[in-house]
Amino acid sequence: MNVFSDLGQGILAILTVQNLLLLGAGVLLGMVVGVMPGLGPSAGLAILLPLTFGLDPTGAIVMLAAVYYGAMYGGTITSVLINTPGESATVASTFDGYPLAQQGRAGPALVMAAVASFVAGTIGAVLISVAAPVTAAVATTFGPPELFLVVMAGLLTLIVIVQGNRLLGALSAVLGFAIATVGIDIGGGAQRYTFGSSELINGIDFIPVAIGLFGLGEVFHMLWKGGHLERLAYVSVRAKGRSFWPTRHDVRESRGPMLRGSVLGFAVGATPGAGATVASLMSYNLEKSVSRTPEKFGKGAMPGLVGPEAANNAASAGAMVPLLTLGIPGSASTAVLIGGFLMWGLQPGPLLMEQNPEFAWGLIASMYLGNAMLLVVNIFCIPAFASIARVPFRVLGPVVIVLCVLGTFTVNGSIIEVGIMLACGVLGFFMRRIGMSPAALVIALVLGPLAEETLRQTMIVSGGQLDIFWERTTSLVLLILIGCLLLLPVVAPRLSRLVRRRLRSVGEQRADSAEREPDEHKV
Amino acid sequence: MRTKLFSALAALTVAAALAGCGSSGTSDESAAEDYPSEELDWTIAFGPGGGNDIMARTMVDILQKQDLYPENIKVENKEGGSGATGWGYLFSNKGEAYNISTTSGSFITTPLQADTGWTHEDFTPVGLFATDDALVLVPGDSPIKNWEDWVEFAKDKGTVTVGGIGTVNVDFILHALLAEAAGYKIDYVPYNEEGQVQTSLLSGALDAMVSNPGSILGQVEAGKMTPLLFTGKEPLPTLPDVPTGESLGFKDLPSLPRGLILPPDAPKYAQEWWIDTMKKVVETDEWKQYLKDNNLIEDVRWGDDFASYLTETADGFEATLKEQGAL
Repeated sequence: MNVFSDLGQGILAILTVQNLLLLGAGVLLGMVVGVMPGLGPSAGLAILLPLTFGLDPTGAIVMLAAVYYGAMYGGTITSVLINTPGESATVASTFDGYPLAQQGRAGPALVMAAVASFVAGTIGAVLISVAAPVTAAVATTFGPPELFLVVMAGLLTLIVIVQGNRLLGALSAVLGFAIATVGIDIGGGAQRYTFGSSELINGIDFIPVAIGLFGLGEVFHMLWKGGHLERLAYVSVRAKGRSFWPTRHDVRESRGPMLRGSVLGFAVGATPGAGATVASLMSYNLEKSVSRTPEKFGKGAMPGLVGPEAANNAASAGAMVPLLTLGIPGSASTAVLIGGFLMWGLQPGPLLMEQNPEFAWGLIASMYLGNAMLLVVNIFCIPAFASIARVPFRVLGPVVIVLCVLGTFTVNGSIIEVGIMLACGVLGFFMRRIGMSPAALVIALVLGPLAEETLRQTMIVSGGQLDIFWERTTSLVLLILIGCLLLLPVVAPRLSRLVRRRLRSVGEQRADSAEREPDEHKV
Repeated sequence: MRTKLFSALAALTVAAALAGCGSSGTSDESAAEDYPSEELDWTIAFGPGGGNDIMARTMVDILQKQDLYPENIKVENKEGGSGATGWGYLFSNKGEAYNISTTSGSFITTPLQADTGWTHEDFTPVGLFATDDALVLVPGDSPIKNWEDWVEFAKDKGTVTVGGIGTVNVDFILHALLAEAAGYKIDYVPYNEEGQVQTSLLSGALDAMVSNPGSILGQVEAGKMTPLLFTGKEPLPTLPDVPTGESLGFKDLPSLPRGLILPPDAPKYAQEWWIDTMKKVVETDEWKQYLKDNNLIEDVRWGDDFASYLTETADGFEATLKEQGAL
């Protein structure tokens, strides 16, 4: 088949000493970038792009792509260990990742997250190799109405996370939407709540808010609870004991979420828009819906970490599809990569793969290799990272504060953003005290403007008519999928009960004896 | 060892004394003679990988390769507020001879929509090198093949849906001017990202869009989009068959300035040095190649000519935007 010969050529193209070194360097740099709170893939790519000015295109893209997915791996580590997502795509990893770390299961959580990332990254690479043209064809049917529906699917996650206290949860989300209105209104060009400041005309960025709410807020909260007074490690992990490795139970319950997350992530990642963020949130939502133990979610359920982790890594592979096959950037990170294409003298567009096969296929081939490298690097590094969880809070707390300030400042070199971060730290503390949901706020902040923008675009396109949503085929399919997603938590338990009853009655008829009920609840 | 150290010290002292003599009294003159003798602080008001970034880095590369700038050049991306942060930084270095920055469209539009504290008039102009012009495009599978088809289609339909980046931006201005001159109505859909405008057009949500050639040429080559009109003064070398706005009777379509500026009240000698030096840069093969690769139309204007071009463009923008109710 053509795919295999192309892929073979791609592998040959990257099997030079220089390219392998670049790949290794990219992977490690990506990890480091990802581990720094505040520095996610897009910031990391932007910082490292100028370094590739003199490189040949294949070497340059191999390195930058490695930084991109390496940062996705690294981002999980801070989400799990210090509850600070470095990128909106890893917000969902904090929901169950951090509770797992608090229960002393940081080791298994990180190992499973790395495995999930590897599986998803590899599945993503396979899907790019074989399904890129089909995916690209679907991606070109995405206009404003479709994007709006995808964003709505991501926002549905709000319902799932705020289940504890709906009123306070809704309040948190509304606060997020309110913060999101700051900046120039793309629709009319008017300024909203900028008070004349030119620093605010592009709105309030996700990064300072997330770092403040999650990272700093958690430190303040731990202080309030007296975490600094505890003599023992506030979370203890033995890096080289059996407790470091995931149990067989962890692996078994992660298999499904990993596969579902990978496919979902790849598909969502290939659509232009919020890609990895929406993918990881949808995956969380989906896993909770199909789980037999949804009540464990948010309290350290392995599927709640593994699903989103797989989804955001597969999404970073999926995002390469429109980039390579259409020349269209689907996310902030791939927009930086497209800038790189131009810088290296390549013309992004539908003909890119045809005109520069060794470039495109070299990139795809490097994804197989890069993901394998990352898995190895991660498994070696995790004991070191996981031992962070053993550092007493009175030492770790101040370090986290310094990292939060540095991380925020590094992104844009803006002292105002550091101020926003500190203010959000205080806000995050009070939100925790009252029982509000910082996660809901952050999701609303990221997805709110996208929802607003795409809905307004849709309404301009349709002249204010809502039928545009079911007149367009892709949009109709998405509407149905969202409907299913909404019904799933209601229908799924009943359906499985029905199936079980059926099975049992069949069993009873056959054996004609009172068998014990299939013990699926414990799985 | 000791003698060496001693002689080095002595030499230093003498040098310092000489330098002291030189600078005392006629400091301005000697600074002018010595210029440039310090590290240059080159501000890029946007992130890496964008049009402004690539232009600045190409210039720096030429300046260094040709040994035109004898000292080190420190290039820094100061991103934020659609250029407000970077150019605001240059603005704050009033009177400095060793700060410089490249301009692009936001240099005109950002002060129009936000209180930046500066406008294009505040800075010391070096020169304009090229303009960024746009293509008007329809989907490749549409029956519309040229501008006449499009106008006919638009008039038939009554109101056409068109898209581009932002509202207070040249994309909107172009659509508005073209529609007014050709006699059809538009609903303008603003986007934040280039990728989304492109998929919107391909998905059939938009009737037409505008985009700069660099990012859209791949789509045109693949037949996914049909270009109808190019807003530049001359046809695009890569697409010679696409008519220019002027050839179709549209006068004064705006374009975006790709130029170089110094801080407000920069010394006269610095401005002159840069004009002389950049005259050499624009003659290099590397620069010509850059213009070709990035589909920029060369348009060279120096010093005050550049300044009056900026004023003209900005006034035109403001007038159109006010007329359309976007400001």
